[in-house]
Formats: sequence, structure tokens, C-alpha cells
Amino acid sequence: MTLAEGVQLVAFGILTAMTLGGALGVVLLDNIVYSAFLLGGVFTSMAGLYILLNAGFVAAAQVLVYVGAVNVLILFGIMLVNKEQEFTPIKQAWVGKVATGGVCVGLFALLTASVLNTPWAISAEVPTGEMATVVIGIHFFTDYLLPFELASVLLLIALIGAIVLARREFIPDVAPGEPASEALQLPERPRELVSSVPGSEPGR
Amino acid sequence: MLGFLKQVGDYAKESLQAAKYIGQGLSVTFDHMSRRPITVQYPYEKLIPSERFRGRIHFEFDKCISCEVCVRVCPINLPVVDWDFDKTTKKKNLKHYSIDFGVCIFCGNCVEYCPTNCLSMTEEYELASYDRHELNYDNVALGRLPYKVTQDPMVTPLRELAYLPKGVMDPHDLPPNARRAGQMPQEILEAAQKAAPKETKTES
Amino acid sequence: MNQGIDLQGSFVNALVDLGISPGAASALWLPLPMVVILIGATVSIFVTVWLERKISAAAQQRIGPEFAGPLGTLQAAADGIKLIFKEDITPAKADPILFTLGPAIVVIPVFLSYLIVPFGQNLVITDLGVGIFLWIALSSIAPIGLLMSGYSSNNKYSLLGGLRAAAQSISYEIPMALAVLAVVLMSNSLSTIDIVNQQSGYGILGWNIWRQPAGFLIFWIAALAECERLPFDLPEAEEELVAGYQTEYTGMKFGLFYVGSYVNLVLSALIVSILYLGGWESPISVSWLASLIGVSETTPWLQVITASLGIMMTLFKAYALVFIAVLLRWTMPRIRIDQLLDFGWKFLLPVALVNLLLTAALKLAFPVAFGG
Ligand code: SF4
Ligand code: SF4
Repeated sequence: MTLAEGVQLVAFGILTAMTLGGALGVVLLDNIVYSAFLLGGVFTSMAGLYILLNAGFVAAAQVLVYVGAVNVLILFGIMLVNKEQEFTPIKQAWVGKVATGGVCVGLFALLTASVLNTPWAISAEVPTGEMATVVIGIHFFTDYLLPFELASVLLLIALIGAIVLARREFIPDVAPGEPASEALQLPERPRELVSSVPGSEPGR
Repeated sequence: MLGFLKQVGDYAKESLQAAKYIGQGLSVTFDHMSRRPITVQYPYEKLIPSERFRGRIHFEFDKCISCEVCVRVCPINLPVVDWDFDKTTKKKNLKHYSIDFGVCIFCGNCVEYCPTNCLSMTEEYELASYDRHELNYDNVALGRLPYKVTQDPMVTPLRELAYLPKGVMDPHDLPPNARRAGQMPQEILEAAQKAAPKETKTES
Repeated sequence: MNQGIDLQGSFVNALVDLGISPGAASALWLPLPMVVILIGATVSIFVTVWLERKISAAAQQRIGPEFAGPLGTLQAAADGIKLIFKEDITPAKADPILFTLGPAIVVIPVFLSYLIVPFGQNLVITDLGVGIFLWIALSSIAPIGLLMSGYSSNNKYSLLGGLRAAAQSISYEIPMALAVLAVVLMSNSLSTIDIVNQQSGYGILGWNIWRQPAGFLIFWIAALAECERLPFDLPEAEEELVAGYQTEYTGMKFGLFYVGSYVNLVLSALIVSILYLGGWESPISVSWLASLIGVSETTPWLQVITASLGIMMTLFKAYALVFIAVLLRWTMPRIRIDQLLDFGWKFLLPVALVNLLLTAALKLAFPVAFGG
């Protein structure tokens, strides 16, 4: 075993441990903020695994998209929406838990089956390595054109949807139907118009 | 279409203008870099406070008649005048007097209105202390003679900008008798006095 | 193309001559450039801090640091020593793990990005195929660290500062990436070496700044925003947020933020000089001069001169940009958060897109000048 192979093996072990541990942490931890940060760790270690597979471009894209954008957005969501909510214990909550457990076990069984059924053989093809960017580009514009375009249309839809949601032209100061609160009004502001003609003041 | 183009054109024009202003600002900052520093190396060099500098207040205990005018004219009723009435002499007997310089705004009203001139403004401004209660000066502390920049052998006194000869910006290495720009106050007074007798003569 | 000097090859050859196996020699070589760059980046902080203080002082008619070392050059070292010896306080209700991790996550990607900064044809730690893209990806990690430190400080100013920092770097990453994309379009490669080589040959006239003036401005503005330099320093706006996400930090943890921000500034300046100012190329092409005198490009002494000149040139350009950044700091008032986001999304982004489209069109029209 040469030095490079040893380094690769150790790196693979560390990255796998980080991915699995992080993923378990994401699911099992109570604190949602920890889960979000650990998710970033999982994404980063996956980028490391891509590097081990000689896919530097994919690794960088993984870091840029998942760590830099998706994870930050998740964190934003968590940190900006800190609405304290009382959780009332629901009766028959166990039904939901059992259903979730069933789905998870089924998913796991499916994945196991596909892992066991796949003939794992190390392909003899030479990895593209440095030229990966070019190869990916060519694939995007030839045989993967439709999925690529569909993905971009999907993203465009999401973008426009977000703009429509965020773009409210006019936010009324007082919600209709709700009496205006007096807390923010100045006390010295005249409440009634006083007539300038003597003798005709209201209340005389 | 044309309206849209006009909008774009206006926007571009505004952007260019903003860029121009930023460039102007940069050139001003750049120009300042070629000017000489006006630093006063503080603990070793100090500026001589100007005439009518409003520093720490000096108080003469024996002159005070406990009239409390200073308290009344003070915007924050700051001076504390502690007296009792001596029935035998039928005079107020001043026991303590104190001003808290942590609260004083150095407006000089008390000095201006004191009927016996027992308050005066000094040119002492180094009032820093480790405890804000130390800033509450009693009549002993108020009666101390002020520190003078010109009498400290450790300090190089420097003249302020307004007291420099015409055209000189740097107070270092000034000849000791260099005359400041403009007329001295006593010269203005003399000129006024010379002019005044004539007026009185013509009037009478 | 001139290969320049091959330090790695000479080092390995020398060790092999000493009787060490080639593999071990290569392994011995591995950490050397990293250590050199690490030390170089750290020293660059000292220089930058000193420059920033002196230039700020000059712009404000002050003297600046004077007593620590000759002309105050050791002021940054004094600051560093002070920070190291300060008590390391974790606020009582802060989250200790995230609080400690935050600064590290901010600093590490910045140092990692030095991987791809070339100082000469062979003077780079790794000539990655993804080159400049790696830098963009790495710089997108920092917001996570900022959010982490902002959240874990358990302080509203910190949280607001962290959120602002993250929003700011996400928004300015996009115009920056688009500006880089236009450059990459012309050089047909993401590798920083190729980007510089594409600009070489014509001296100062070959630099990308002439072909990408808009891109240069967009990139520099976005880079300043990424570094949180003054017109865009609102994550730590003193008047509003105390010190933003750094509020609760003391000692070396604060020092890490400080180091990170200055290293990031130097890094951005280096990247700008590589992308737009011809990297290690001198304004007058050295190879052209050499051919004028009639010296071969592979002459050893010429190669040494070229390499050292390249390093000097890269650093000189970077520090000239740092100078502009400091000057801008004392010229521009801080902009508001809504102005910041408006500027990023409504001005820089469309302009960067138009720039990209124009570059593509020009590349099709004039393949000679715009890298066919
Ligand atoms: S006004 Fe003057 S005399 Fe009267 S109490 Fe104050 S200090 Fe004393
Ligand atoms: S200087 Fe002004 S504020 Fe201070 S004690 Fe006198 S009147 Fe009051």
C-alpha cells in the first residue's frame, strides 16, 4: 500500500464516520439548530467523499449549493421563525410514530435490497478528473438536456413563487376590522375638532 | 418600449453620477493623505486651552454667601449648598459646597450669575477617574488651584490653531514670541477706548 | 509556454540525490508550500493591519501607530499578543460548543482558499482544475460560521449581525460568481494558472481589466461586501449592533475573526489581481524584454528573476487594491441594509448578467480578443 492509498483509506474512514454520525445527529438531536449545523457537516463530508472519487467539481458544487446556500437558508428559516409554541400532547400520537417507523423501515429495506442487488464492481474507466467540468457541460447539453431544462424550469417556478409571496405592494398600518390601538398615539393630539365660532363648541 | 428604455437610461445616468461622486470623494480622501498630520502627542504635548475655556470649576469657600443663585441658574440644579442659619449673626453659615462634575455640563451659568464671583472656570480638563463618585468635588477639591499646561516641565505646551501666526498650521517649533493672527483683545479694547471719548464729548 | 522554475522537481531531485526514495521525497515536499503559504498569509496580516492603520491615519491627518517598533510596524504583533493573553470568556448562557466552533469555521475556509492563489507559473500549492470555483465554494462556507457565532452568543445584536452577514454574503456571492464566470468564459478554464496565462503576452494591455471593466468593478464591490469592508460593514455596524456577531467574543476567538477578516481582504485582493490584473505578469512583459536583449527564456538567472518579480508583482497589485479598499473605507458612509440588498440584487446582479451575456457575444464575434 502506497502512501496515497493509505491516506485515502484513512480519509474515507473519517469521512464515513462523519457522514453517518452527523446524519444520526441530524435525526436524533432535540435541538433543531444543532440538527441544522450537523446537516452542514454531513454535506461537507459528502463533498469530501466526492473528492475521494476524483470528482473535484462535484465536490465544490456540493459545498457551494448545499452548504453555502441550502443549509444557510435552513438556518435562516430556523433563526428567523422562533415562535414559541406549546405542544399539546396529541392522543393516539403513537399511530403517527408507528407509521413513520414503518415508512422508514420500508425505505431502509428498499435501499438494502438495491445495495445487495447491485453488482459492485470498480469500473475500469479512467476517471475524467480535471476534465470533469467539460464532460459535465457536454452531458448537460446533449443527452441530459431535458432533465437539465426541467430542473431549471422548476427552479424558475420556485423563484417566481418566492417573489410573488414576498412582494406585497401595500401593507396596511391597521388591519381592517381591528380598532386602532391608542398606545402609539400621542396624548396631546386633539381628538375632536374644536370650532372657532364661540358658543358653538361641542359639549356646551 | 420607449418608456422602459428611458427608465433604463435614467437609471444608468444616475449610476454614473453616483460613481462620479464616489470618485470625487475618493480624490478628496486621497488629497488629505498629502497633508501634514496635526497630531498632538498627548501626554507629552498638550494644547494650551483657549481664553474663556470652560474647564473644572474653581470655588472660593470664604467668598460664598450661600445665596443659592448658582443652584437656581444651573440647568440641572447641580451645586449642593449646605448651610444653616446662624441666629446670632443673622447670617447664613456655609458648611459644605460641592459640584458633581460627572453630571455638570460645564455651561458656566453658575459662574456667570454668582453675585460674589466666588465661582470661576479654570482650564483644567483632565478629570478622568476610576470611580464616577470621585468626580463629586467637595469645597476642598473645588478650591484647589488648577493645573496649568504651561507650568508643567514634563509637557511641551502647544498653541491652538486660532493662536498661531497667520498661515502657520503646525504649532511645533514656533518662535516663543510669534504673534497670533488678528488683533489681540486688549488692542481692540484700546481702539474702542480711543474712539469712545470723542463720542462722549460730542454727546455732552 | 515558459514553464518557469520547478521548485518541487528540484527539491525532489536534490533529496533523491541524497539517497532518499522519490516517494518519501515527494511526501517531504508536500507540507512545505502549505507552511510557507500559511506563514505568508499570517505575515500579510501584519502588513495589512499596519498599512490600514497608517493609511487611515494619513487620510485623517494623524500619525498612526508610532511607538511599537520602527514606524509602528510591530503594532499588529502587540495587538496579537494582547489578544492571546486576554481571558477567554464564554458568556454564561451561550452555547459553548457552537461558540467555539464559529470563529474556526469562519477562518479555516479563508486559509484553505490560498490553495489556489498562484504567485508564478509553478508557484502555487495546487493547480486545481476547478481552481477559482473552489474559492467561490469555500467562501460560501463562512456564513455558516457567522450564523453559528451569532446564534450561540445568545445576544440579540450578535444574532442580528450574524443574520445580516449571512444575507450579505449570500447576496453578493451571486454577482461575484457571475463576474468570475465572464472571466472564465474568456480563458476557457477554471484554473487560476490558465486565467493568468490567458492574460499574458501583451504586458499591461493584455490584462482582463481592459476586456472586463464592468466585471472588475462588480467583482471588487462584491469582494468588499464579502469581506465586510466599510461601505458594507453593516454586520458589525458599531452604531447599531455594538459589534455584530463579534460582540460577545474576547481573546483569541475574537482574534480569529480579526485575522479572518484581514486574510480575507488580502485574499480577495490577490484574486482580483489574478482575475483582472494579470496575476504575476508585469506591466511590461518580461519574456518580451528578454527576447529584446536576446536572452533565452530558460536561462536560470532569468527564471529566478522572473519568479521573484512575479511574486512581487502579485503582492504589489494586491496591496494596491488593499490601499484602494482602505481609501474607500474613509470615503464612503456605511449603507443601510435595505440599500445593501437593493444594490446587490437590483443593480449588481443584472449588470453582472448583462456583462456575462456581452462577454459571450463578444467571444463569438471576436474570438481573437476574447479567447475563442
Ligand atoms: S451663587 Fe455664589 S455666592 Fe451664591 S451660593 Fe452659589 S457660589 Fe455661593
Ligand atoms: S457649569 Fe452649568 S451645569 Fe455645571 S454647575 Fe454650573 S450651572 Fe450647573
